[in-house]
Amino acid sequence: MEARDLTGPAVAFVVVVALIVGGAAVLPIFSGGDTPEVSNLAQQQADLDAVRVTAADETGEITMDSDATGKTVLVDKAHENEFSDEKLSTLVNTLVENGHEVRFVTQEQARGSAWNESLRSADALLVANPTQAYTPEQLAGVRAFNDAGGRVLLLSDPASSSGSILSILGLGAGSQQPSSGGPGLSSTFGVAGHSGYLFNMHEYQHNFKSIYATAGRGSLSQDVDRVVFRGSVAVSTDGGQRALTSIEQTKLSTTRRADTYAVAVQSGDVAMVGDTDFLAPTDAYTADNEAFIGNLADFLVSGQKTGNAPGPPSTESENGTGPTLPMPTL
Amino acid sequence: MNRDSSAASAKALFVVAIVAAVLVSSVLAPVAYDYTTSTQSEGTVSVITVSGTISASTVDGISEDLRNARTNDSIEAVVLKVDSGGGYVAPSERLYLEVLRTAEQMPVVASVQGVGASGAYYGMLPADEIFVLSSTEVGSVGVVSSGGSVPLPESVIRTGPDKAQPTADERRQTVESLKRQFVGRVMQHRGDNITLSREEVAYAKTYLGPKAVENGYADQIGALPTAIDRAAGMAGLENYDVTRQEPPQSLGLVLLTSQTDNGTMIYKRSAQTNGLVPVTRPLMVDEIAPYNPEVNANGSA
Repeated sequence: MEARDLTGPAVAFVVVVALIVGGAAVLPIFSGGDTPEVSNLAQQQADLDAVRVTAADETGEITMDSDATGKTVLVDKAHENEFSDEKLSTLVNTLVENGHEVRFVTQEQARGSAWNESLRSADALLVANPTQAYTPEQLAGVRAFNDAGGRVLLLSDPASSSGSILSILGLGAGSQQPSSGGPGLSSTFGVAGHSGYLFNMHEYQHNFKSIYATAGRGSLSQDVDRVVFRGSVAVSTDGGQRALTSIEQTKLSTTRRADTYAVAVQSGDVAMVGDTDFLAPTDAYTADNEAFIGNLADFLVSGQKTGNAPGPPSTESENGTGPTLPMPTL
Repeated sequence: MNRDSSAASAKALFVVAIVAAVLVSSVLAPVAYDYTTSTQSEGTVSVITVSGTISASTVDGISEDLRNARTNDSIEAVVLKVDSGGGYVAPSERLYLEVLRTAEQMPVVASVQGVGASGAYYGMLPADEIFVLSSTEVGSVGVVSSGGSVPLPESVIRTGPDKAQPTADERRQTVESLKRQFVGRVMQHRGDNITLSREEVAYAKTYLGPKAVENGYADQIGALPTAIDRAAGMAGLENYDVTRQEPPQSLGLVLLTSQTDNGTMIYKRSAQTNGLVPVTRPLMVDEIAPYNPEVNANGSA
């Protein structure tokens, strides 16, 4: 076979390939290619107004109305309290700026008679989320302190459960009911809390656990329209005042029942608040939280404590103020 | 004698030819059968598997399958075979949009196997119908996120106070916005069937199959073949083929890949939240972000 015999087929091959490939290259020019039409589904589906969440206003200043000066507020840090210095800072700064003294009692400073000695020189006691049990002597000292007019502020988050704050303090119904004999809630301090946390799926600030509470009765609710608590426990009082109550349709996580739950109560010289987050600098100026913090500061320094209560340990033991002995209900 | 031998050899040749013909036919017959069957078929139903954690990698694969279904002229309907408890937020929305785009072109039916919750439920929302089993769980319409706000170590240098440091309230706002979007889309797509209010949906409860059919989270009790037949019926197909698109195997590798893709990812251990806090890439629809100690140790912005 000679080379020229292959020329014809080779030419035919090249022509056919050129026609097919060239045709394929030119075809999209006339057909417009195969790029599909793209619609912006993501934008069509986005309801921007519905998903816009605006930051809450943070305005106002924490101020105190009380004219009292030179009062001493004791902060319990002796019972492995789950309460950060950051949260404490707003209240401490307010008290110090208004001429009061804030003292912290550490675990070492609460041993033996030192606890009662610290209370003796104080006007108010702040206890937040304790996780370690109080000794009978310490409890007796707190009761004597409170009986003498010393103010006691209890703060409790749901995590530590307000039920446990009272049981840790030895003030739960179980230990006191037989002796106090009071109807219903028989906590010595006349305050108690529910288990679980409060939430509101209907009206809330940014999250279902950030509930609104409105003013109730008493000085703690003065100048307060509504506050925001982030993860709050419901508290109760026996004969005291409901200072702040959650708005309607607030539910308790454990029962899922909708109600207007008390989240801050005052019973004489004892107050209990079912939250600590509202004190944090990031939340202290939301809604009327700053007014409520000011009211708490006023509460702490407005007591009329008499005498040097609690007395020396020997006096206490003579009086027999153990946790199972009769104590007046506030 | 010669006549006898030539007759015998002709006979042997005849037998060999018969055997060869049978052998060749046994190869060609299935091809012919398939060809005739395919000519009888009016179209194809593509079964696309959605399983495991909804992540960027898994959604990439599913998106490719859905795109093929849209561009392949022979595919007339899609069935999503779902078995997933959710995953990351953004991939879940991508899955939702891909399914929506497909559902605009052809019938899409979801068939939930074990779980179709959270991000997986988000993804199947645009389906024309959702089939569940009696033991299937669907729902969990909500978002999970760590709270953030854990201080970064001093060794990390940032350009601004909000860099890699979202506050707890910013997180709450973000999660709330995502929740509204998720719940809104549930109401949009299931609104005609659903008997629950927007607020009740936002509780993020997971429902068992029969309850889901009752409250409108799903449409019918039925297994995968029923869903395939329903999808074919909606596409007007009496005789149809089924193709199955399975995801790539090894979930662990997928997660690892998705992590190392992003060199800026920083995770921190948080004492406050008692878990891991992803700093730069945040939100899960349902699950907690995987933790890679190497990324944690070498994390940089």
